[in-house]
Amino acid sequence: MSMMPKIDTPKPGMPSGALAMLILRVLQSGSLHGYAIAQRIHLLSSEVLEVEEGSLYPALQKLLLKGWATADWGISETNRKVRFYNLTPAGRKQLETELQEYDRVTQAIQSVLRTA
Amino acid sequence: MGELYRRLRYLLQRNRHSQELADEMDFHREMAARAGRPASLSFGNAVRLREQSREAWGWTWIDRLIQDLSYAGRTLLRSPGFTMTAILVLAVGIGVNITAFSLFNMMVFQYLPVRDPASLVRLQRRSPDASTNTISYSAMLFYRDHARTLSAVMGTFGTSVLQLESDPQPVSSNFATENYFTELGIQPSLGRLLDPAQDRVNGSAPAVVISYGFWQRHYGADPNIVGKVIHLNQKPATIIGVTPYILPSLGNQHPDLWLPMNQIAYFIEGNTTLIDTGSSGPIEMWGRLAPGVSAKTAEQELLSLTNQLRKVHPKDIWDNEYIRTDPGGHDQIMQPEMLATMAMCGALVLLILAVACANLGGLLLARGVAREHEISIRVAIGANRKRIFRQLFTESLLLSSLGSAAGLFLGYIVIRITMAHANAPLWMTATPDWRVIAFAVAVGLFAALLFGFAPALQIARQRQRKTIARQMLLGAQVAASCVLLIVSGLLVRAVQHALHTNPGFGYEQVISIDPGLSTHGYKPADARNYIEQLSNRLRTIPGVTSVSLTSMTPLSHFRVSTISNTINGHLVRIFPFQVDPEFFSTMEIPLLRGRNFTPREEHAVIISDTLARKQWPGEDPIGKQDASGSAPGDVVVGVVANARLMDIQNGDTVELYHAAQEANMADLVILIKTAGVPEGFIPSVRTITRSLDPKLFPEVNTLKEGFRDTTRSSGNIAMVVSLLGFVAVFLAALGILGLVAYTVSQRTKDIAIRIALGAKPLHVLASLLSQFSWPVALGLVVGIGITAGVSHTMRGVLYGVSNLDPFSYIASIGILLAIIACAAFLPARRALRLDVARALHQD
Repeated sequence: MSMMPKIDTPKPGMPSGALAMLILRVLQSGSLHGYAIAQRIHLLSSEVLEVEEGSLYPALQKLLLKGWATADWGISETNRKVRFYNLTPAGRKQLETELQEYDRVTQAIQSVLRTA
Repeated sequence: MGELYRRLRYLLQRNRHSQELADEMDFHREMAARAGRPASLSFGNAVRLREQSREAWGWTWIDRLIQDLSYAGRTLLRSPGFTMTAILVLAVGIGVNITAFSLFNMMVFQYLPVRDPASLVRLQRRSPDASTNTISYSAMLFYRDHARTLSAVMGTFGTSVLQLESDPQPVSSNFATENYFTELGIQPSLGRLLDPAQDRVNGSAPAVVISYGFWQRHYGADPNIVGKVIHLNQKPATIIGVTPYILPSLGNQHPDLWLPMNQIAYFIEGNTTLIDTGSSGPIEMWGRLAPGVSAKTAEQELLSLTNQLRKVHPKDIWDNEYIRTDPGGHDQIMQPEMLATMAMCGALVLLILAVACANLGGLLLARGVAREHEISIRVAIGANRKRIFRQLFTESLLLSSLGSAAGLFLGYIVIRITMAHANAPLWMTATPDWRVIAFAVAVGLFAALLFGFAPALQIARQRQRKTIARQMLLGAQVAASCVLLIVSGLLVRAVQHALHTNPGFGYEQVISIDPGLSTHGYKPADARNYIEQLSNRLRTIPGVTSVSLTSMTPLSHFRVSTISNTINGHLVRIFPFQVDPEFFSTMEIPLLRGRNFTPREEHAVIISDTLARKQWPGEDPIGKQDASGSAPGDVVVGVVANARLMDIQNGDTVELYHAAQEANMADLVILIKTAGVPEGFIPSVRTITRSLDPKLFPEVNTLKEGFRDTTRSSGNIAMVVSLLGFVAVFLAALGILGLVAYTVSQRTKDIAIRIALGAKPLHVLASLLSQFSWPVALGLVVGIGITAGVSHTMRGVLYGVSNLDPFSYIASIGILLAIIACAAFLPARRALRLDVARALHQD
């Protein structure tokens, strides 16, 4: 087991929906299957964040339910049938609002940390 | 909205989705393995993970429910004895409720199978202080011709008896407006029915329609019956058709013959119904609301028509009179006064359900002890209390659904039997409709909450050994069955009272003769003439000891009038009679004070003892004026004993007698008292009436028959309630038996040791049963309290129920205690005959 921090169920103090936001963000550049999404987040976070199946797949289901993403069948690099997730227009909009919200909160936190 | 749509679409493809998710995760693990990471998930965790992922869609409760249900099903199958007992107890508890509701539903909600029954209305004259269910022919025509809100008006003229050819048995006949059958969309089984287009067969005798039953009985289902000429009251009539086998009729009337209303005077000579002006008459009026018109709108229009009528007949229309519309397309017209009875029946059947549920709750608790092992294992491997509670409650739900299904079946059987016995209309069906099904589901859920919730909670918290819950359940059972028993005791006593106490008059030897003079248009002088002749002739029959006259036939329901007056703040029902002086001796009503009338004496009244006491307590009523219900200036000349002539089951009514005047003569009924069997006198009475005036066809009945009819219904009610009471007691006894047996089985060892150490068996028994004594006592107290509280309401429903009938209370409590004692004693005795050594070696 690695000593990396794991994104599991959102812990208190962590902005909820952070994982959903990350998934939406990596899907912005094109469709990916579940494993690739986890990989992409892992790489982009300079291997700091490791996404477990235990939190990835519930989060993906939520995205499908909310209509932010759709899943289509495709063929993986290993020649297997697998589901690829695509962002929907609603998903793009959601990502925008989440990013704005995230910026607002982080700026607020930072200004408190700097001035207090 | 989109989200809900996606959720539902997911639900429909749940299995596929689940499979896809599994594949996806497999792929994920495969890829992870390739990348040189060990698979971080065992298979079990993978399953859990899938479940977590699916939770997002919000349908996992269905899977859980299916799991819980299948587990519950397996559990119940493992103990068939318990399951059968539980279903049986529930079937009884839920079944009586379903039966009661079904009957109510059939009478009040089920529509007659006629054309557009929802728009049919019954029309009746009402005012704040008067009401009648019939109207005159001329007023009916007025409403028919002017009401825009009614697309049709139908009238029927209640059952008259006509003489067919020279048969000894008269036939019952209804006159109906010609549009009656066409408006209801009824098809003949033979020939044709009355038809506004052709009410007379070209120049031949007036038309008559015969009922299917009469065609079968009287004409042997002769296929060539149509066209046959018969003689009714010696008037020729042509049979034009036969009603269908199943005839849904307004107001549930089933005469042998149907005749066109415009022929009343033809068949009943001298009858003036068709030519009388004014508003009061014998016609029952029905209407059909015009399309899109509500009953309220129709009532408003009819009110304005009533006000127009008042201008023409100011004397006939009451103050503030209006025409009330009631839904007419049902078997029974829901009257507000029926509500009290229905509420009482509802309360009684709910009590049965309560007993059944309390009983079953006790059983479940006892089972909880037997299942401690299973539950503790499940807790140990990580099931949480909530989940265990849900599991147990699912079992209860499954049981109650099975019980509901069994109850539906039971109810169906009971209703079939009831219908066969109660001569229900043939179109009624006992098959449950959606309302009954919905009711069954609701009662099932309610029952599950009643019997399953608390035990499931207790068991999930592993507190099922606490006796308090069991004692509460026992107390509830005792209270509910106590109420039922006492109520049934009161009812049985009330009926007994009505049947076997002296009603205050003698009826066994009396025959009533209703010549129907007013229906035949007799004028008062002719009527007096006829009655005098008839009375004289009747007196000559050997064995007739007394002949008298009355305006109301005792013990009948025909032409009964009552006055409701407030006397000293209490509402009293008064029956006003017009009688001749001999009436009191014919009916054996003793004169207590004052004197009898002289024939046709004016301005004199005789009152019953109770009326005298109510109006002038402690005073001498003789010579007083303004007796309640009498006309101004009438003086009380005598007081007679109470006689429950018109309402034998009600000791609260009072009677008021006027001397019959010449003007009433056409409305009087002759009563004769006979020595010997009254039925034997009927033929000679008929011979005399025929010789006096062959146009008349008097109705001759014994009062005994009327008595039987009057008391039958309350006898039935008492029987049903007693049955319910005994069902409840049986259930309660069963519950107590189980409870004590269970307690004994729990304390076998303890008892064995005590007996081994030389304790007296009686002491052991006493200590064993002592924990049940206070819930039983409390249950009794609560039950008696509730009964005393509701007995007042019951009095309103069933006359003759006394408020405090100590005998009923004591007897019911005695029976209940005896049954409880037996139920407790049987298993306890087994405990005392224990083989001590074996009991100690048991565990």
